[in-house]
Amino acid sequence: MESDHVMMMRTTASFRTSANSFYKKSKATSFVSLPSSLLDPYIGGFFEVSLKVQMGDSQYSFSLTTFSPSGKLVQIEHALTAVGSGQTSLGIKASNGVVIATEKKLPSILVDEASVQKIQNLTPNIGVVYSGMGPDFRVLVRKSRKQAEQYLRLYKEPIPVTQLVRETATVMQEFTQSGGVRPFGVSLLVAGYDDKGPQLYQVDPSGSYFSWKASAMGKNVSNAKTFLEKRYTEDMELDDAIHTAILTLKEGFEGEISSKNIEIGKIGADKVFRVLTPAEIDDYLAEVE
Amino acid sequence: MSRGSGGGYDRHITIFSPEGRLFQVEYAFKAVKAAGITSIGVRGKDSVCVVTQKKVPDKLLDESSVSHLFPVTKYLGLLATGMTADSRSLVTQARNEAAEFRFQYGYEMPADILAKWIADKSQVYTQHAYMRPLGVVAMVLGMDEERGPLLYKCDPAGHFYGHKATSAGMKEQEAINFLEKKMKENPAFTYDETVQTAISALQSVLQEDFKATEIEVGVVRADNPIFRSLETEEIEEHLTAISERD
Repeated sequence: MESDHVMMMRTTASFRTSANSFYKKSKATSFVSLPSSLLDPYIGGFFEVSLKVQMGDSQYSFSLTTFSPSGKLVQIEHALTAVGSGQTSLGIKASNGVVIATEKKLPSILVDEASVQKIQNLTPNIGVVYSGMGPDFRVLVRKSRKQAEQYLRLYKEPIPVTQLVRETATVMQEFTQSGGVRPFGVSLLVAGYDDKGPQLYQVDPSGSYFSWKASAMGKNVSNAKTFLEKRYTEDMELDDAIHTAILTLKEGFEGEISSKNIEIGKIGADKVFRVLTPAEIDDYLAEVE
Repeated sequence: MSRGSGGGYDRHITIFSPEGRLFQVEYAFKAVKAAGITSIGVRGKDSVCVVTQKKVPDKLLDESSVSHLFPVTKYLGLLATGMTADSRSLVTQARNEAAEFRFQYGYEMPADILAKWIADKSQVYTQHAYMRPLGVVAMVLGMDEERGPLLYKCDPAGHFYGHKATSAGMKEQEAINFLEKKMKENPAFTYDETVQTAISALQSVLQEDFKATEIEVGVVRADNPIFRSLETEEIEEHLTAISERD
């Protein structure tokens, strides 16, 4: 049993060049493979937790995401299932901007919907929406924001969209390979506008990402994508895209669509990503009727 | 050594099940219900009130030590429903965090920031195998300088929302149904109405009339933003007002 354990650690060991990993060349080799992002002391309180992580999860210095006999990483597949049961979200890239939108179905009317914001800024010119597990999304937003700030501090210019997407995807991949952690149960749609123009990326729990002209995720993904395929045109303008986004959400919407149960974020040539206010959403809804 | 579809471990640590669920998180929710207590929180126009049952299992126990209502700072309260030991651990960490916040940033930690911190910590336990999720649902209440009364609820999954009214524990769903009816027209409750709505919600859902010693009530209000637990006499007054009203 013990030799099995050691064998497993050897085969799944992730060699990290950062100071976080250490190994002893003795009979009982012990690798501590942690995602290097975990040990960022970005919040005082959390740093205490991550110190405990170094001690506490040495029993888990093997990956929980391992290959099945058929060559699949089943934990990632299950993570995608979790995403697929999340609320629908979508994004459309127009010729002069990007729009992302999501359903905002709250568990009860007692919840104060103003306290919930599913679409978040990562930088002033990059926004993100998710389908899947909200708490996992918050973690990724926090890490991405920090990475964007570190880039800005180092290079004195805002991070390009592709770079931020790649770094976020790297974090997600680390959690599919590192010891004692599970993959993130979210897929992200990242919308940004930089020197290369408007861009839309989708990042999956596996850490793979693609650039999309229009995409959807979550419960109603197949209907939404079919609808988008029909309606998408290369020369769409941002306002048309917003109307199309609303119509796509409406397709699979259970109940009455209103400014209280959807959220829309957009970025135009002004390179400022912002979430629309309920009043603005009402205007667009009226135009769509 | 092949783990296949979790190899049966998906029930023991927080890894995904084939349906994309986290069983450990779901079991943590069940642990909250198994504690046998129901709690209610109501947010009024300028006050917030939380109410919970006070079950003292043994007459020899010192009732003052049986409390689920904890001050985190002078102005922030935390009502912990669920496993007592996990609650104590959470409250100790929350108190530490709030004190450090005050020191670092020079102003009192707002209720929503504390709720976010608790929720983010809970999320870590749902993603890392080395620690199980806590079996606690935490309700954070406080008066915010800019936004007025705030009531937030954080659960073992790492979710947190602001609430106009909410409930946790054994009869959570029944209480939420009751409160939805009461709050449907978005009423702006005064302090007394807030407290009485909370207490009468608990009475209605548990179908019993309480004595003042059987419940705990915590409040913050605009004219007195310090979080405090109501004395037995004050609870008596509210109970009397409720029974006279009905």
